[in-house]
Amino acid sequence: MRIDRDSIEEIVKTITQNKSRSLLTAFGVFWGILILVVLLSGGNGVRGMLLSNFEGFATNSGFTFTGATSIPYKGFKKGRSWDLTTDDMQNVRNNVPELAHVSAASAHWGTPPVYGEKKYSEGWLRGNEPEYQYIEDPNIIYGRPINEIDFRECRKVCVLGMGVYESFFTKGEDPCGKRIQVDGIYYTIVGVSDGQENINLLGMNRDAVTIPLSTLQRTYNEGKVVYYLAYTAKEGVKISDVEDKIRRVVAEHHVISPDDKEGIRQVNAEEMFEMLDTLFYGIEVLIWLVGMGTLLAGIIGVSNIMMVTVKERTVEIGIRRAIGAQPRDILQQIMAESILLTTVAGMTGIAFGVLVMNMVDTQIVDNMGNSYGYIATFGSVVSLTLVVIVLGAIAGLAPAMRAMAIKPVEAMHED
Amino acid sequence: MIHLTNIHKTYNNGAPLHVLKGIDLDIEKGEFVSIMGASGSGKSTLLNILGILDNYDKGKYYLAGNLVKNLTESQSAEFRNKLIGFIFQSFNLISFKNAMENVALPLFYQGVSRKKRNVMAMEYLDKLGLKDWAGHMPSEMSGGQKQRVAIARALITRPQIILADEPTGALDSKTSVEVMDILKTLHAEEKLTIAVVTHESGVANETDKIIHIKDGLIGQITENYNHDFWTAASSK
Ligand SMILES: Nc1ncnc2c1ncn2[C@@H]1O[C@H](COP(=O)(O)OP(=O)(O)OP(=O)(O)O)[C@@H](O)[C@H]1O
Ligand SMILES: [Mg+2]
Repeated sequence: MRIDRDSIEEIVKTITQNKSRSLLTAFGVFWGILILVVLLSGGNGVRGMLLSNFEGFATNSGFTFTGATSIPYKGFKKGRSWDLTTDDMQNVRNNVPELAHVSAASAHWGTPPVYGEKKYSEGWLRGNEPEYQYIEDPNIIYGRPINEIDFRECRKVCVLGMGVYESFFTKGEDPCGKRIQVDGIYYTIVGVSDGQENINLLGMNRDAVTIPLSTLQRTYNEGKVVYYLAYTAKEGVKISDVEDKIRRVVAEHHVISPDDKEGIRQVNAEEMFEMLDTLFYGIEVLIWLVGMGTLLAGIIGVSNIMMVTVKERTVEIGIRRAIGAQPRDILQQIMAESILLTTVAGMTGIAFGVLVMNMVDTQIVDNMGNSYGYIATFGSVVSLTLVVIVLGAIAGLAPAMRAMAIKPVEAMHED
Repeated sequence: MIHLTNIHKTYNNGAPLHVLKGIDLDIEKGEFVSIMGASGSGKSTLLNILGILDNYDKGKYYLAGNLVKNLTESQSAEFRNKLIGFIFQSFNLISFKNAMENVALPLFYQGVSRKKRNVMAMEYLDKLGLKDWAGHMPSEMSGGQKQRVAIARALITRPQIILADEPTGALDSKTSVEVMDILKTLHAEEKLTIAVVTHESGVANETDKIIHIKDGLIGQITENYNHDFWTAASSK
C-alpha cells in the first residue's frame, strides 16, 4: 500500500467531509471501547481489593486447624474433638524439612485492655509464638515484635495493634516501656504493629494485643494448647504438596486417621489465590464478551456508514479507476479509511477510559492510601488497540469490496 | 493503434438496448478523428469501449496489438493509466482536491513519490497556462480552466492516445476553440492519437477524419485532411 502524505490526507479529507456523520459513527466505537476499559479496570480494582485481604501473608503460607474427627480410627469413634498443641508445632518443625517456618497462635477474648482511665472494648488478646512474624508480617512501627526470650521466659510484654495504640496514645508518641493492663495483669509495651487487615483468623489485627504464646497459655491455664499452626514452605516448594505430610505428623500424635481432612483442617493462601484467579479469569472473560458486544454494535455502525459513503462516491471512485487505479488501490483506500476512523475513535475511547479510571483509582484507596489498581493494565490497553484495528479492518471489508466492484465507466455517470 | 471488428454492445438494465450493432473501425497511430452522431446513437458507448472503461459483448477489439478481452483487470487499469488519457465533458475532477493534486493523481497510482509527482503536475499545469491556479479547488475555477486541468491530468502519464467525450460540450465557443487548439497542438507536436466525440461540426472540422455513427453502425467516414486550408480560407 502506498502510504504517503497524500493518501493519509486523502483519508482524513473523506472522513472529515461529513463531520457529523463520521462523529456519530465514531461515537459508537468510542463508547464501546470506553465501556470495555471501564469494566476491565473495574475488574482489576475489585480483584485488587480482594487480594489486599491476603497482603502480609506469604503466598506460600498455610494453616492447620482442629475439627471433629470424621473417620473412626484405631478404636476411636468419629466425632471426637481434640486440641492442637505446641508439641504439634515442634513435631512439624522436626519432621517436615520442606517448611521454612512453623509457628502457632492462640487467643483470648472478652478481656479488653486498659491504659490508665482508657479502655479499648474491641480489644482482644493474641498469643503468638515468635516465628509467627515470618508468616504474617506484623509491620512493626515502634519497638519490636515478640521474640524468643519473651516466649521462653513467659514475659509479660505486648505488641499493640493500631486501633489499640490510637485509642491509648496520641499519634507520633512512642509507647514502648509504658504498661497496659489486661484482665488484671500488667504487660509492658515493647512494640506497635500496623499489620494488614487480612483474612481474620482470630480477630482484627488492629484490635489485637499480642503477647507471647507461652504467657497466654500460662495465664489462662491452657497448658500447651494452640488454636492453629501456621507455616510457610521453603523456596521452590508448593505448600499444597507438603500439607499431606503435615497432616500425617499431626494425625499420628493424636491418633487420628491421616486421611481425615475434616478432623485436621487445612487451608493455604496459594489455594485461595488460585480460587480468586479462576474467579477473576471468568469475570474477565465475561467483561470481554459484554464489551465486545457493545463494540460490535459500533463496528456495524461504521460498516453501514462506510457503505453509504462508498455509494455516494461512486463517480469519484469511477474517476479513479478511469485514470488507472487498480482494484486493490480502491480496496486499500476504503479499508484504510475504516481502520483510521475506528482506530482514532477507539484510541480516544481508551484514552478517555484510562483517564476516568485513573481518577476513580485515586478516589478508592485502602486505609493506607494505597491504590487497589482500578486501572486498565498496559496489556489490556495494547490488546484493545489491536482489537480496534482488527475491528476497523472487518468493518471496512464489505464497503471496500463494494467499492472495488465499481466499474471505471461509472466515472461517466455524472450525478 | 485501435482496431475494431464487429463490436456489439447491449445494455441490459431493464429492457435490453442494443446500442452498438457491429462496429468496424480502425484508428491509426497519430490520427486525429472525431466521432459524430445523433444523441443516443452510441458515441459515448463506443468511446468508453475504446478506453476500456466498459466492456463489449461481441466482436474483437485490438488496442496497441492486444486483444482487450484477454486483458486482466490489472492490465486494463495499467493501460488506462499509461496508454490512454481521458477528457470528459463534465471534467470529472475530484472536488476535494486542488488542481495540482488532481493532475498528480494518475502518478499516485503509478507509485511515483509525492514530491516528484507534484513537480510534474506543476510542469503540466504550467504548459496549460494554469501555473497560478495550482492551489485552487475545482469549484473556484471556470469551465475552461477545469477542462485544462483535466487535460493536464490526461497528459501527465505521457499517454499515446487521448479520448475525449464532448470536451467542449460544457464550454462557450471561445474556450472551446482554446481547448481544440490544445488538442491540435498535441496532435501536431506530440503525434498523439486523438479521438473526440462531439456533436458540433465546428469541432469535428478541426479533425482529420470524421466518423459518423448511425443506428449503432459506422455510417460514413469523411476524410478532412485539408481542414486547415478550409478554416484558413473561411476566415479570410
Ligand atoms: N449504462 C447504461 N445503461 C442503459 N442504457 C444506457 C447506458 N448508457 C447509455 N445507455 C443508452 O444507450 C444509448 C446510447 O447512449 P450513449 O451515451 O452512447 O449515446 P451518445 O451517442 O453518447 O448520446 P449523447 O450525444 O446524448 O451523449 C442511449 O439510448 C442511452 O440511453
Ligand atoms: Mg454521449
